[in-house]
Amino acid sequence: MKKVVALALVVSLVAGFGWAKPRKANLKGAIKIGFFSPLTGFAAADGLSALRGAKLAVEEINKSGGLLGKKVVLVNYDDRVKSSEAVAIARKLVTKDRVVAAVSGSYSGPTRAAAPIFQQFKIPMISAYAVHPEITKAGNYIFRNGFLGTVEGKAMGEVALKFLRAKRIALLVIDNDYGHSLAEGVKMRIRQLGGAKIVYEKAYSIGEKDFTPLLTAAKAQKPDLLIATAYYNEAAQIARQVKQMGWRIQILGEEGYDSPKFLELAGDAAEGVIITTNLNRDDLSSITQNFIKNFKARYNEDPDMVGASSYDAIMLLAKAIKKAHSTNPARIRDALQSLQNEVLATGVLYRFTQGREVVKPVQVQIVKNGEFHYYGIIADPDVVTPPW
Amino acid sequence: MNYYLTILIYIGINSILALSLNIIVGYAGQISLGHAAFYGIGAYSSALIATKLGVSFWVALPSAIVITAIVGAILGLPSLRVSEDFLAITTIGINFVVQAVFKYVKFFGGALGVSGIPFPSLGGHRFSLAAFAVMTAIFTVISALVAHLINTSWIGLGLKAVREDELAASSSGVNVYKFKVLAFVLGSALAGLAGSLYAHFMMFITADDFGFPLSIAILSMIVIGGIGTVRGAFLGALLLTIMPEVFRPLSDYRMLVYAILLILFMRFLPEGLIGDESIVWKKIRGKA
Amino acid sequence: MLLQQIINGLASGGIYTLVALGLTLVYGVLKILHIAHAGIYALGAYMALIAYKIYPNIYFAFFFAMVSTALAGYLVQKYLYWPIIDQPRIVPLIASIGLFLALEELYRLIWGPYVIPFPQKFHWKTYTIGKIRLPGADLFVFALSLIFLAILYWIVNRTRIGLAMRAVADDKEVAEASGINSKWTIALSFIIGSALAGAAGLMVGVYYNSIYPTMGDVPAYKSLAVIVVGGMGSIEGTVVAGFGLGLLEALLLGFLPFAFPRDALAFIAMIIFLLIKPEGLFGR
Repeated sequence: MKKVVALALVVSLVAGFGWAKPRKANLKGAIKIGFFSPLTGFAAADGLSALRGAKLAVEEINKSGGLLGKKVVLVNYDDRVKSSEAVAIARKLVTKDRVVAAVSGSYSGPTRAAAPIFQQFKIPMISAYAVHPEITKAGNYIFRNGFLGTVEGKAMGEVALKFLRAKRIALLVIDNDYGHSLAEGVKMRIRQLGGAKIVYEKAYSIGEKDFTPLLTAAKAQKPDLLIATAYYNEAAQIARQVKQMGWRIQILGEEGYDSPKFLELAGDAAEGVIITTNLNRDDLSSITQNFIKNFKARYNEDPDMVGASSYDAIMLLAKAIKKAHSTNPARIRDALQSLQNEVLATGVLYRFTQGREVVKPVQVQIVKNGEFHYYGIIADPDVVTPPW
Repeated sequence: MNYYLTILIYIGINSILALSLNIIVGYAGQISLGHAAFYGIGAYSSALIATKLGVSFWVALPSAIVITAIVGAILGLPSLRVSEDFLAITTIGINFVVQAVFKYVKFFGGALGVSGIPFPSLGGHRFSLAAFAVMTAIFTVISALVAHLINTSWIGLGLKAVREDELAASSSGVNVYKFKVLAFVLGSALAGLAGSLYAHFMMFITADDFGFPLSIAILSMIVIGGIGTVRGAFLGALLLTIMPEVFRPLSDYRMLVYAILLILFMRFLPEGLIGDESIVWKKIRGKA
Repeated sequence: MLLQQIINGLASGGIYTLVALGLTLVYGVLKILHIAHAGIYALGAYMALIAYKIYPNIYFAFFFAMVSTALAGYLVQKYLYWPIIDQPRIVPLIASIGLFLALEELYRLIWGPYVIPFPQKFHWKTYTIGKIRLPGADLFVFALSLIFLAILYWIVNRTRIGLAMRAVADDKEVAEASGINSKWTIALSFIIGSALAGAAGLMVGVYYNSIYPTMGDVPAYKSLAVIVVGGMGSIEGTVVAGFGLGLLEALLLGFLPFAFPRDALAFIAMIIFLLIKPEGLFGR
């Protein structure tokens, strides 16, 4: 019996190799765009959202006739949030699949590892939402669609002082480069505007589920605003635990909160929470409204920031290809760099800086009746212009 | 071509890793579930030496091997006091602690990791991908030879004695402590080699690359291939490196298939595919 | 503020203890590091989702979850561990890890990678005694843990089954010689341990309003640390270490001035004990 099973194992392994043929989407003349995001592992939720956003964009492009008369094909892979996989994927996309451009729907680690390869082979790549500052420094073929941490942090500082008139601020910081750059931005803006001080500041590790010890300590300092930088899981816990503690305080968050999951998990504790982000649900622009509507219709879920960013990243590439009137990667790059005042699902892109960071207004949303709604917008160039 | 070369390089590095763990687990019989830590130490030492001291890959590599070997000796010391299950847990703990150090201590770059690690170059000319692949292949062969030499030498004899029966070994005059530490030193040194190669290939490393799942993957390589054998280490490394690539079309089910294979192998074929006790190997031998 | 931290610590301590107990029970009788136990813990939370579809009631959910996880535990030991019990230690260890991975992947494939909120909304009250505020959620978790612990204590110390479990954990051969059916005893240890883990999983799902595929990751490592510190196979040790860890985490997190990865404490404690006192607090 054991022998049979052993043999079966060997056979199945060998068969696995033969069976698993790479699917050849051999459409002559199709425009291939590369995409990678984590589809398995702990980051699978974001990876799936990103992929959905990208796929939706490609479908819409093809429905309206494709690009330059050709169909667009999304070549996507799962990077499991591993840098080594991202590197292999990047090489594969560039040398085997021969994509003309790529989008990273993944976190900072894999994006950062893949960027130099795209740069080396001169294939333009847009980082949809990964925030690490070094990513765009890989070279002039690497762009970023999302906000830099410092930019968004400054926007948060703006909201705190100008909109919410806070004087004593408690600051919770995610203990990673994203969180620290946000905190830096917040403090920068507070210093610039003056009139408020940070009475409590504490960093916490990602994955933390129980914030009660931190919140208790923060509360003891009697702040009038709680700026809690977080991703949506932690954000939901923070909001719930603040409520559970019976603490009535305004919570200010950022795009990490921007997901229907936050609303779902926090329940009514989310009511009144304000965030800076890039997706304005009340944006009258048809592009935004259509995106929200179509995403919901296609996937039966409300879109989140990650999905919206990936959708826009693909759309930006499409616009660049149209503007360059070519699928030559170098021309696409130049066209991308020169884009101005483009209306996207996530608001208006004024332009890309020389360092290929976006200059875009920051949206401010508030949770009302269990939904995100418009609260304000920050377009002050002092705040939204990236440092490079 | 480029892509295939990348895969070949990964296979080579993983083979060296598998061979290195084999010394500790296969030859000396010490359960080590934290081997990724030594891999990481090798990678980080090489990366930091190259970036902070500005030396070339050719200096960083041997330095990394030496550093990892020394750390391996130090971290191997706890293994003297504990055995079996405690050892397993200790090594898991070591993995996490080392990873945490990389992640939270500023010197190691913290969460941003180490970047700008130089690709190897000779005489001012940056290696081509093919050259790197050839170099990796050479190192892989050397590692296999080293492993084989260890196994067939007096060291191997001592390790085997410790593995089979510690009590009997020590009563026969074998210095069990010395051999246990030796196993860790040799195993880590090779892991350090693999780590250095990895760092200079990726040009950018973070703590996340060296976690517990990787330790399990390396262990799986030698167990599936056939523990305690050089050929088993190679086969295991080959299979487990190629699998994620080959199974990409199945991408959603990849990890599940991998996990189920692990279970099935442990349940039905724990000797590994071509280990000494394996039915498959015996059949092949029988026929030969 | 100190009291707040303590209550919070006792609640998380309760969870750690419940999960680690299953691990201790299993290790005591089979001497296997049953990493997959954390996968069964997560199963408890996921079973709640199914339970609510059948009959939306928290008591039924508990019952359903615990029965399912008990059954899962039974199946695991019968079809996975028993057949390979005589293999070198590394084999059941990798098998367990493989099972843990497989379970996580199954959860992801069946229910999706997203965090799912618990199917019932609970509105916790905060009880105020003088200046002290006691969050209802923490009290609930702590109280429930105590109840389960009491039941377990009763089983282990006051019943024949418990006696058999302790005997087998002590020395399997001698126990068998005294007429104890070790196969059944081991199966029972798994069943009880898994049921506890399932309850813990469900409680965590309620407390954090979150159910997700990788929710077993941290408990997997942490319960290992707890049983090492407490003493592998010692129930008293697990209880002390479990609550101790919960308390220490809450206190350190609240009072340390720098970011402290909560999970690191378990490891640090584990390493310290492995170096100085590997048998743990109450181990032999």
